Amino acid sequence: MSLTVNDVWYTYQEGTPNESNALQGINLTINKGEFLGIVGHTGSGKSTLIQHLNGLLKPSKGQVLVDGLELHSKENKKSLREIRMKVGIVFQYPEYQLFEETVEKDIAFGPKNLGLEEKEIKQRVKKAMKLMNLDYQALKDVSPFDLSGGQKRKVAIAGVLAMEPEYLILDEPAAGLDPKGREEFLELINHLHKEGLTVIMVSHSMDDIARYAQRMVVLHQGKLVLEGKPQEVFTHVEELESMGLSVPTLTKLLHALKAKGLPVNTELIEIQQIKAEILRALQERKGEAHA
Amino acid sequence: MLKDITIGQYLVGNSFLHKLDPRTKIIGVLLYMIALFTVNNFIGMGAMIVVSAFFVLLSQIPLNYFLKGLKPIVLIVMLTVVLQIFMTPGEVLWQWGFLKITDMGLRQAGFMGTRLVLLVSITSILTLTTTPIALTDGIESLLKPFQKIGVPAHELAMMMTIALRFIPTLIEETEKIMQAQAARGADFESGNLMERGKAMIPLLVPLFLSAFKRADELAIAMEARCYHGGENRTRLKPLQYTAKDRVALLALLLMLALAWATRMV
Repeated sequence: MSLTVNDVWYTYQEGTPNESNALQGINLTINKGEFLGIVGHTGSGKSTLIQHLNGLLKPSKGQVLVDGLELHSKENKKSLREIRMKVGIVFQYPEYQLFEETVEKDIAFGPKNLGLEEKEIKQRVKKAMKLMNLDYQALKDVSPFDLSGGQKRKVAIAGVLAMEPEYLILDEPAAGLDPKGREEFLELINHLHKEGLTVIMVSHSMDDIARYAQRMVVLHQGKLVLEGKPQEVFTHVEELESMGLSVPTLTKLLHALKAKGLPVNTELIEIQQIKAEILRALQERKGEAHA
Repeated sequence: MLKDITIGQYLVGNSFLHKLDPRTKIIGVLLYMIALFTVNNFIGMGAMIVVSAFFVLLSQIPLNYFLKGLKPIVLIVMLTVVLQIFMTPGEVLWQWGFLKITDMGLRQAGFMGTRLVLLVSITSILTLTTTPIALTDGIESLLKPFQKIGVPAHELAMMMTIALRFIPTLIEETEKIMQAQAARGADFESGNLMERGKAMIPLLVPLFLSAFKRADELAIAMEARCYHGGENRTRLKPLQYTAKDRVALLALLLMLALAWATRMV
């Protein structure tokens, strides 16, 4: 069971003088249950790629398979909607998609489109709100437009979760939130992943990717240039910097320490491990000095 | 998709038409329109088609791109032609029930259809070769003389500039919201008229909200930069009439005179 992207090309405004190749032969497999990070410079094709993953865009060439079923194939045209339901997508600033009078109605919009029964819808709304740390009783009859920015975003994501997708794609989910909101938000998403949801997160923040993603891919000018575990990918410091990207703050610290002559392992990614590694290296040096 | 609409779009280029002063082009389009409705016979109409083709050549716009821009009006042209064919009185050539085709009808249909296509062509050429900013600058400058009788030239031009500036933004916004709602299972494409109307609500509410928000922010940003209307405003690139413009204007006046002359044939 996986999301598979097979040699996908996509051209914007094909046949006009403004045409541009947003994707150039992308190959990618996303396994069920993983937390994948997608990074890339602005205009690298990240957003175009995620729009292919649930059939919002049709590849100019190549194919996208969801659990073995091809999106936009000629044989099963009708199933596009059903396949789409498996892959939930949360765009940047999802709070701009809210439109209903009450929070409950807005979250129910997706499940309603699935044709579910009233009772089931209510159940799902409650569940989705709980997952997003929203109080059902207190908020269900409130207008979504009266909420704060962070809460609006939670409601919008609950609206996607209520459709109970198997894959969840998030485009810059923490953009524009304050540090505290950011932290809380990313923890919520991490929690969703631990509950068994496959999470695909696009982010500009290398720190966030390093902290949460199990695997990451780097896009550059419509091509997939790096792929692997964050600790592997972030060893390519110069390559990433030449693409206008950076490495996590802690990786930078480790590299700086190594450059100063402290023999540390620069491939570590978790803060506790890094702390232990630096302490170890310092201890060792102290020992050498004494000897 | 919405992005395929080319009406009102500007195409970067370096042709003779691109370099003309926007005022010349606006006056030129007006003169062309007068000429188009002046001609009343086949010679005149033929000449107008040749003139239009010449403009397209002069603008150096890729022909297929230009023709694609004409696609949206096909329906209107067809409707006009059909109405003209059946509704014009004259000598009956063919009749079936209440439907009858007259010689005048055919003639009128041909003329109106051609006029419509030419009209849209010439205005597309104008917008394809002129940046929206230059266009509104031109309109503002042309409306200046009417300021004395209370025409708010600067304000009108500013409103047009802002409206034009936000068309692509709103189209982009619309597509984004449509995608977000489609991802939640919204269906904009099937169902009857009522259902489709209802399906627009999840699109229109967020779109209006964001448009109002943008308008608010823009107003604040303009005031923060001390915008206070047209008085004493100077320009980074003042419009300048050059020899090219004089030549073009003369040629256009000549065209109008010739169009008038074809009536006498």
